[in-house]
Amino acid sequence: MDAHPDAPPVVVTDTVRNALCIAALDTRARARGVRLGQSLSDARALAPDLECHATDHERDRALLLTIAAWCERYTPLVALDAAPEAVRDHGLFMDVTGCAHLLGGEAALVADLEARLGAQGFHVRLCLADTPGAAWAMARYGQAHIIAEGGHGEAVLPLSLSGLRLPPALVASLGRVGLKTIGCIAHLPRAPLAARFGARLMQRLDQALGREAEAISPIMPVADLSTERRFAEPIARQEDISQVIAALASGIIEPLERRGLGLRRCRIRLFRVDGHVSGLEVQTARPLRDARTIARLFEERIAGLHDDLDAGFGFDLIRLDVAHADPFEGAQAEMMAGGMGSHAGGHGHDALVDRLGARLGLERVQRFVLADTHIPERSFGREPVAASHPGARRAASGAAALALLPDLPTPDAIITRPLILFDRPEMLQTIAEVPDGPPLKFRWRGVSYEVARSEGPERIACEWWRDGRGARTRDYFRVEDSQGYRFWLFRHGLYGRETGEPAWYMHGLFA
Amino acid sequence: MSLSRLQTATDILTAHTRAQEARAYAAMAGTGPVSEPLPLGAGAVDQCLDGGLACGGLHEVRSPLARDIGAAAGFALGLAARAVQADRGGRHGIVWVSDPAARIDGGGLFPAGLAQYGLDPSGLTLVEPCDLQAAMWAADEAAGCAGLAALVFQIKGNPARFDITATRRLMLRARESGVLALVLRQSGEEEASAAATRWRVTTELSGADEIYPRGVGAMRLSLTLERNRTGRTGQWCLAWNPKTRNFDHAASDPARQPAHPAAHPVDRLSATFDRQDSPGAMGQVLDRRRDFGRAS
Repeated sequence: MDAHPDAPPVVVTDTVRNALCIAALDTRARARGVRLGQSLSDARALAPDLECHATDHERDRALLLTIAAWCERYTPLVALDAAPEAVRDHGLFMDVTGCAHLLGGEAALVADLEARLGAQGFHVRLCLADTPGAAWAMARYGQAHIIAEGGHGEAVLPLSLSGLRLPPALVASLGRVGLKTIGCIAHLPRAPLAARFGARLMQRLDQALGREAEAISPIMPVADLSTERRFAEPIARQEDISQVIAALASGIIEPLERRGLGLRRCRIRLFRVDGHVSGLEVQTARPLRDARTIARLFEERIAGLHDDLDAGFGFDLIRLDVAHADPFEGAQAEMMAGGMGSHAGGHGHDALVDRLGARLGLERVQRFVLADTHIPERSFGREPVAASHPGARRAASGAAALALLPDLPTPDAIITRPLILFDRPEMLQTIAEVPDGPPLKFRWRGVSYEVARSEGPERIACEWWRDGRGARTRDYFRVEDSQGYRFWLFRHGLYGRETGEPAWYMHGLFA
Repeated sequence: MSLSRLQTATDILTAHTRAQEARAYAAMAGTGPVSEPLPLGAGAVDQCLDGGLACGGLHEVRSPLARDIGAAAGFALGLAARAVQADRGGRHGIVWVSDPAARIDGGGLFPAGLAQYGLDPSGLTLVEPCDLQAAMWAADEAAGCAGLAALVFQIKGNPARFDITATRRLMLRARESGVLALVLRQSGEEEASAAATRWRVTTELSGADEIYPRGVGAMRLSLTLERNRTGRTGQWCLAWNPKTRNFDHAASDPARQPAHPAAHPVDRLSATFDRQDSPGAMGQVLDRRRDFGRAS
């Protein structure tokens, strides 16, 4: 980066064996004679005005991840360099197979990448080659930017052995026997080399030369389908962005139709000109193939953000990824099942759930799931509607709903369970006639109630397999006070057997 | 900016709002009830309502005290269960939107209780937004969803933000879509709203139980129709029948009237929190008193 001509040289230091060493330096420091790996005190002797900063590996890594996210504008397959720990080196692998033609060829892609990263203030060394190993070596120790197809075997031969991603100790011991370049070992007999220096050396050599396949593991899961739009001039207005999203959504419909799929989860990635990438994701309750609905979900998602999209100087690339798609059983199956009326109804309900989930967050739109236990507060849970299986979701919204809940009693005139249950039972002060009978009076939330009628106890034993030994039994009572308020109370613990002074709790309200 | 200019700006704004209101009312007067009314099952109430509750519309159910929320929720859920049962062209599902303020001390719905009450808990979608504004948005969205049978919007007290404009928006959206929209107001005062009806629900002593006289019988609730845009008002005592999903008339037993009516009327103050026009409480009133009525 260009700084003021009088600015001091800048170095970054790192602790190596309890000594501060130079881990990175700028051109001014290099011009003053400072070298990589030099101790800080030596460097200070050369350049007393040295400005030094400590290495922050976490922030380095975060920055690298940001760059990696940005690099997804070229290909979805971007991976971090998984070099051995001994090599503190920050690199990225990109698999651009089948992507280069989108940018006008490999040369154009490399030039574009270098220019854009350069404009963001990064110095990059890059190389495009047939194998990840060769590209790694050439980027660090070679000169060429692009190795022609099939030429990587020749190109890496004159490079130093460090280019094989080996631990420095191994490179040093190879150097002691006079093996300094890749070419030196490429044609040596393999068995003695492997016996002396380990199989790792041969593996790395084979990977660089393309004799052994090497897979890179991309950071982001690869989308089933992607569509994107690039802009000559960055866009920043909310309306423009919504319009682009709508256009992208309509573009994704045709390939979905061709594959017989409907969209369940998709992601928008907004690439800002300054390299920042933001993502938004929406989920749908059932496979969806309607562009307007998808666009509307994203509008809700954007509206639900706590602060607006930070457009900065604008976005120059917007991409829509289909992260998950399910077979689309569409209108045909619905028509067979029961007329257009029920289809329209079901659709409206599901669409509502999707919109609510997109804006409020999926976890805030829930439905009940039942559990097989008698303890009231454990007998049910809530799960996000959108997360449930699409088949279950359809059954739940349709007529076959009770089949999901086989254990529920049919409605009866006798009501034993309250409509409203408190999340945490609330402690009461009570006066009871006999220790194991219902209370005569109790005080709840500062108000006292006089019990007029009561039913019970209904004994619910503890779950010893979950709560352990010593958990207490609950005796539930339905009580009505003299005003007609109906409550669900319980006594925690059996008198005399489990506790001498059982506590009373309020657990629910009846209608 | 001078004061007079500010004044003018306010006048223009007010005039604009008035014009909007006038248009909204004209629209409401122009379109009749979208679908046939939903009868409650109790003859006298249905007669008073000209056949039942207007389905595409907003209705308010309020409980004067926080502990009446059981009865009020019971009434609202009964109406919702009837709306689901009525089907009305494949409509199904109930959306229950609750304002976070109402959840803090109100507890949550209990699926086993709902099932006994005659309501399928799996048909219920619970929406719990993080604040009132988001809750109002969610209620608006649900009220406009034509596939839905009923919407219950649970709020607490009389929040200033849920004003007549907000209720009118809900009303219009429900009228367009035909959804039965219910506002369940816990410990709320009566206030001006666009709702077609407003019900005050309190609990009533339960009915006699032949098998076990000392036990709690069938639940009853005391229902006051405080406001009815299209007809008369009234007061009834009803009992919910989970089997038939009907509200039946129940004679309120004079012998079992509440033994101790409120000792001091001032103690029955209910929650009105952030209203500028609300009367100030006299003397020192504890928080829990405002919430839970009479302290003995």
